[in-house]
Amino acid sequence: MSATGIGAAVRRKEDFRFITGKGQYVDDVVRPGETRAVFVRSPHARAKIKSIDVSAARKMPGVIDVLTGADLANDKIGGLICGWMIHSKDGTPMKMAPHPALAATTVNHVGDAVAVVIAATVAQGKDAAEKVKVDYEVLAAVVDPAKAKSGPQIHEIAAKNTIYEWSLGDSKATDTAFANAKHVTKLDIVNNRLAPNAMEPRAALAEYDSGTDQLTLWNTTQNPHVARLVISAFVGIAPEHKLRVIAPDVGGGFGSKIFIYPEEVVCLWASRKVRRPVKWTSDRSEAFVTDAHGRDHVTHAELALDANGKILALRAHTIANLGAYMSTFSSSVPTYLYATLLSGQYDIPQIYCEVDAVYTNTVPVDAYRGAGRPEATFVVERLVEVAARELGLDPAELRKRNFVKSFPHQTPVIMAYDAGDYGASLKKAMELADVKGFSKRKREAARHGKLRGLGYSTYIEACGIAPSQAVGSLGAGVGLWESAEVRVNPTGSVEVLTGTHAHGQGHETTFAQLVSERLGIPFDSVSIVHGDTDKVQFGMGTYGSRSGAVGMSAIVKALDKVEAKAKKVAGFMMEAAEGDIEFKDGKFTVKGTDKSVGWGDVALNAYIAHKFTGAELEPGLKETSFYDPTNFTFPAGCHIAEVEIDIETGKTEIVNWTAVDDFGTVINPMIVEGQVHGGIAQGVGQAMLEGVVYDKEGQLVTGSMMDYTMPRAHDLPSFKVETTETRAPSNPLGIKGCGEAGAIAAPAAVINAITDAIGTEQIAMPATANAVWAALSRATPRAAA
Amino acid sequence: MAMTMTGEVQLAASRETVWAKLNDVEVLKACIPGCEELNMTGENEMQAVATQKIGPVKARFKGKVQLTDLDPPNGYKISGEGDGGIAGFAKGGATVALTDKDGGTLLTYNVEAQIGGKLAQLGQRLINGAAKKVADDFFQRFAAAVAAG
Amino acid sequence: MPSVSMTVNGKPVTGDVEARTLLVQFLRENLRLTGTHVGCDTSQCGACVVHIDGIAAKSCTTLALQCEGAKITTIEGLAEPNGPLHPMQEAFREHHGLQCGYCTPGMIMAALDIVRRKGNDLDEHTIREQLDGNLCRCTGYHNIVKAIAAGAKAMAKGGAPAQAAE
Repeated sequence: MSATGIGAAVRRKEDFRFITGKGQYVDDVVRPGETRAVFVRSPHARAKIKSIDVSAARKMPGVIDVLTGADLANDKIGGLICGWMIHSKDGTPMKMAPHPALAATTVNHVGDAVAVVIAATVAQGKDAAEKVKVDYEVLAAVVDPAKAKSGPQIHEIAAKNTIYEWSLGDSKATDTAFANAKHVTKLDIVNNRLAPNAMEPRAALAEYDSGTDQLTLWNTTQNPHVARLVISAFVGIAPEHKLRVIAPDVGGGFGSKIFIYPEEVVCLWASRKVRRPVKWTSDRSEAFVTDAHGRDHVTHAELALDANGKILALRAHTIANLGAYMSTFSSSVPTYLYATLLSGQYDIPQIYCEVDAVYTNTVPVDAYRGAGRPEATFVVERLVEVAARELGLDPAELRKRNFVKSFPHQTPVIMAYDAGDYGASLKKAMELADVKGFSKRKREAARHGKLRGLGYSTYIEACGIAPSQAVGSLGAGVGLWESAEVRVNPTGSVEVLTGTHAHGQGHETTFAQLVSERLGIPFDSVSIVHGDTDKVQFGMGTYGSRSGAVGMSAIVKALDKVEAKAKKVAGFMMEAAEGDIEFKDGKFTVKGTDKSVGWGDVALNAYIAHKFTGAELEPGLKETSFYDPTNFTFPAGCHIAEVEIDIETGKTEIVNWTAVDDFGTVINPMIVEGQVHGGIAQGVGQAMLEGVVYDKEGQLVTGSMMDYTMPRAHDLPSFKVETTETRAPSNPLGIKGCGEAGAIAAPAAVINAITDAIGTEQIAMPATANAVWAALSRATPRAAA
Repeated sequence: MAMTMTGEVQLAASRETVWAKLNDVEVLKACIPGCEELNMTGENEMQAVATQKIGPVKARFKGKVQLTDLDPPNGYKISGEGDGGIAGFAKGGATVALTDKDGGTLLTYNVEAQIGGKLAQLGQRLINGAAKKVADDFFQRFAAAVAAG
Repeated sequence: MPSVSMTVNGKPVTGDVEARTLLVQFLRENLRLTGTHVGCDTSQCGACVVHIDGIAAKSCTTLALQCEGAKITTIEGLAEPNGPLHPMQEAFREHHGLQCGYCTPGMIMAALDIVRRKGNDLDEHTIREQLDGNLCRCTGYHNIVKAIAAGAKAMAKGGAPAQAAE
């Protein structure tokens, strides 16, 4: 292994600019003549807009224009869409309600934008926004997803506020399996609603060039090409070739920056109207009421087992809250990213899942780190843990008895697992966590008046999203391949243009490691270019732990083509047949001779083209690949949480965290570990601290970082993170993906540990000190405790 | 965000005097904390402008104030709805009852209020304290106005 | 508009600001020092931490006018131009103490203040407690904690002060 090749913990290329304050995030970009957009937002969860009077606001200092939903409609700007079609059990298509970027007739959640002030400065914009007079007729709001079907109808298209009633699996066969079961474990689960809270708030800067009729959008997006496509094809702001989307440095995404939001549409539209650049930067309060939230499931789930603890079947009914409008990929999250993972790491013969997606008068809900898979893992891992406790079996033993052990394995819910060794990650995690010594530690804790608990989460996820034909057959409006272009310069340095985007994942480093190793050129001679539709060929962006498995595979394919062509060039240079050229460590050698030329010489000769005619070979050395994976990848692993609880206060401390993950091939272990750490923190946040709360009128109660508890350094321990490795057979590098694992695994591990300690299963997330204390005081301690 | 609050204040004046003061726009204007304007716009209906601060959010509310369930000189319901612009809204009402006590009048009030938008988002933890302070200030001033005759 | 003068990263600066202008706005918008970030509006996240007269402060909760005559250091002023990185910056890179980079400038400035107050030999518990005012959504803090401990040690060795040279 070279110091900068695959498998090396190379320090990141991108860090220098960030640690010296030279990162360039959207809000750092300033354009000449820039104006600022300030949105006027609904304070009501649901209301009719009777009238909007902007006359006073228009007269305020610094105001350039004030625009409303009526203006947007007059200009025939289209609404936002959801790009994944889901059909209900009865065959009817999902009920997608109109979602205008500025509401014209009704508002449907607190924070829904009704007007925008374009002003010289933010302060002037805010002063003017105060003067916009909106006359609302307040209507009763729907807040609780479990009661949405009986609430007042929010959208004309969706009776009973139901978007779809979908199912997956064989209902009859599952019921039969349950009827024959010796034991059935039942759980009611609320998967708490989360605010993503990437540290960089969203921002958009739009500039219209009237000379070329060209629009440019600097945008906090994880997928600039998808944003451009949707804004062009559906919203209709400008044709694709007249719109450039740039995603510069982006400060975290976690899913929330995948989606196409009203604000960027409005900035684009307004910049053409006022003929000046228009910038909007969200403040955190705005982020809480506009960034798509995550999770928010209400589930009843059951697990059927035989007398030996062998799982026979699983069934679940889930109500998924999609909020006031259908966000870009919202429909896919509680369906194909959720129910398809309900087999977990287990051989479960029958699974049936029903999902009812509903509208409520809350912020739209869409993918958030893990997207559907954390919800599935939580259902499966809680069921398995509780079943083991009910049957008096060791939870690790029950898991082992049911693990999938031979591959490929076809689950009853679409997914075909292709490689894994679940026993290996469990075994390694148990050793690292010193599970053997746990009972001693538990006794020791008891002597100090503390309760100790240990919880497993043996999770699986489907990543490397995704084979295009497969997702197309499931309703996706796009293909999920990835693209790469490898440009070799005449001096031999290389630029790789990738359709993925990095917002913390370190692609500039890992992708360069791949190229450096493959071409035998210095790591520093490789640049990774992403995030600009004018530079990079169409690409699908970064989410679903896809950039390694799919994005790097595209680079591999382009490198294959580069190597093939370079061999031709070398052949002409050394007057040898192309088939006799070998390429190794940056050198082209004629097989069986000591004749060789270096990478730099070949690159130069490809461009000066003196050794071959145009009839023999095209000059230049630049290749493109569009790579479509053949399957999802299936990262899996075992996380073990150990907690200690103060009986008097319920304060819960995570005293040990062990993670053993199988991500397939690891390119940079330092970066992979960092991804796991961050994922665990978000998962622990969900389990113990975070939760979006609306009051019954639909007012957001957790609307700032004072009230929405973000995990802080002292809420978390240091983590023990290790890997096992089975290569993913579906892509050339064997990569499975690591970005979401921690967030998927962690909540179940935490709650399994807490319930183990307190002796009752009745605790909801977030298990705050107060909730643990309340559960403790309700609980009858187990005989064993 | 909804909140409720009850309280009482002993006033050194007759029920009739208190009732008259409770229906005097100038007295109300002087007593409502942050009140900039209070004008009669109809029978038992006023237009008000008042500035209120709840936690980090300071807003200038414009809205209607209505008197209903008038039962002279025993009590009424005063309710209002204010639009604080981008800060959100506040609405609510107070049922005010007057009874004779210790040679004066005991005024009891029962407040129900609701806030929304940024006020609820940022100020909800402080709403009870803020509302109590507004009520305390009001009745302190009102007691003074009653005492002044 | 009132005028304000201060020294920022060793250079005297003067600007006309509205009374309500925050220090972070003055730094980012007037001086174009965009390394100092804004991550919240309730003084919770610490992305905006700078040093005012050598002490860490949240520049989102400080008025520019309060800083009349003050010496301000931002992330851009930590290393000499073209000079080596400050040991704390280097430690964040070495220990992968950053991912998206947005919280990083505030983290580094806050870390230096921890060293100033607690010395160069920092245990994990102290660092975690002292980082209470800074949020990171990417790293789970694991590597930030490691970076700060290592950076603090390296500062002792190299004699780097917790307050940048003015």
